[in-house]
Amino acid sequence: MKDLGFILASWVMTLGSIGVLALVTLRRARELSSRVPDEHKPWV
Amino acid sequence: MDLTPRSAPEPKRSSRRVLPIVVAVLASVAGLAIVVMFLTSSIDYYCNVDEVGVREGCDDTRRVRVQGSVDEGSLQSRAGNTSFVMSFNGVSLPVDYEGEPGGVFQECIPVVAHGRIVDGVLMATRIEVRHSNEYEAENADRLEEAEKSACS
Amino acid sequence: MTTGTAATRVLGVLAIITTAWVVVSAFFLTPADVVQGDSVRIMYAHVPTAWIAYLAFVTTAVASGFSLVRKHRTLGFDRVAGASAEVGVLFMAMTLITGSLWGRITWGTFWQWDPRLTTTLFLFVTYVGYLAIRRVDVDPVRRARRSSVIALLAVLEIPLVHFSVVLWRSLHQEASVLNTDGDVRLDGLMLFTLFSGVVAFTLMFVWLVMHRQRLTALSDLERVVGLDAAISARRAEGVSGIHAT
Repeated sequence: MKDLGFILASWVMTLGSIGVLALVTLRRARELSSRVPDEHKPWV
Repeated sequence: MDLTPRSAPEPKRSSRRVLPIVVAVLASVAGLAIVVMFLTSSIDYYCNVDEVGVREGCDDTRRVRVQGSVDEGSLQSRAGNTSFVMSFNGVSLPVDYEGEPGGVFQECIPVVAHGRIVDGVLMATRIEVRHSNEYEAENADRLEEAEKSACS
Repeated sequence: MTTGTAATRVLGVLAIITTAWVVVSAFFLTPADVVQGDSVRIMYAHVPTAWIAYLAFVTTAVASGFSLVRKHRTLGFDRVAGASAEVGVLFMAMTLITGSLWGRITWGTFWQWDPRLTTTLFLFVTYVGYLAIRRVDVDPVRRARRSSVIALLAVLEIPLVHFSVVLWRSLHQEASVLNTDGDVRLDGLMLFTLFSGVVAFTLMFVWLVMHRQRLTALSDLERVVGLDAAISARRAEGVSGIHAT
């Protein structure tokens, strides 16, 4: 496949950055959740 | 019982408050710079070949960006130099470029050449390809069709 | 319990499955383009990220509008607005990066100050500024009021970006879908993969926004809970002090 480096870089950066944001979000959520009682969380 | 007022802890003037302000200022400066770059590089990105020396802002006495299709059979590469003729609306302009144009440069494709016109020849310092907004599967029949239609 | 619910878990699984299909189709099933060759495979990431970034910024504007009008639920809408802008900025950054890589292959250059590229960069910078402004205010109510006004103004840039290739002459090609003449200029499987990409990135967007708006809520709540706890502790300290004397 021609220009495979460019094509792969595009996909890896796109999906990678979204994956990193998802992981960071879940990690921070776990951290904060432990400090806030469940009765304050409307989605629970 | 000690009821003397406690001294308030030092307010955190750390990066938590300062960083967003710095980012906001940088974003404003960047936004201004983008507008300036846009306006100074002319809003319309190019002039068509038939507008050179005719339309306002397309003077042939200064650096121009000219758009046209590469004429079939006009492309010549010699000793790292590329020359071709580009046309638009029945008007043609010879182009001379030192180097190999990048991208999907080929005959019959629209290009934008940046440079100055000297003795009727555009001495290009940059060539960019303007590809169309049509996407078709690559196969032998399509290649022939595409080549024919692009230059017909 | 964190920010996840049954709904977000289902969304997450659907997003992963759809994305996997898009990647397989983009790399192995769709054909190369007759002019651009294999570089067209970047399109299946570039175009959906651009469209979903637009969707994100429109969501931010709509939620901001509600937060200004519906006084009682101000903070909920404001959190959705902020979360949507965060995801939109990431998607827009990816649009710029993938577009730049695609441009290098097809145009022969990473960047030019042409109308589409410039207006897109301006839109990106505007929302980076919006997110920065959101973080300046510690008070959530003031944050909501100030950022809502910015969001409602910033969204006006989107039509300018989308129609920049029609309004002015641009190096960037005109739209192949959602163009002014209504024609679709993509072969069958290419179009299907592109729309699958839009679905996949929409699912990712919704999942991220749901989690991130709850994260903002947790962050705001933590401040309140922390303050309540501090007041209670001080009261308890005072009461025990009185008993001791």
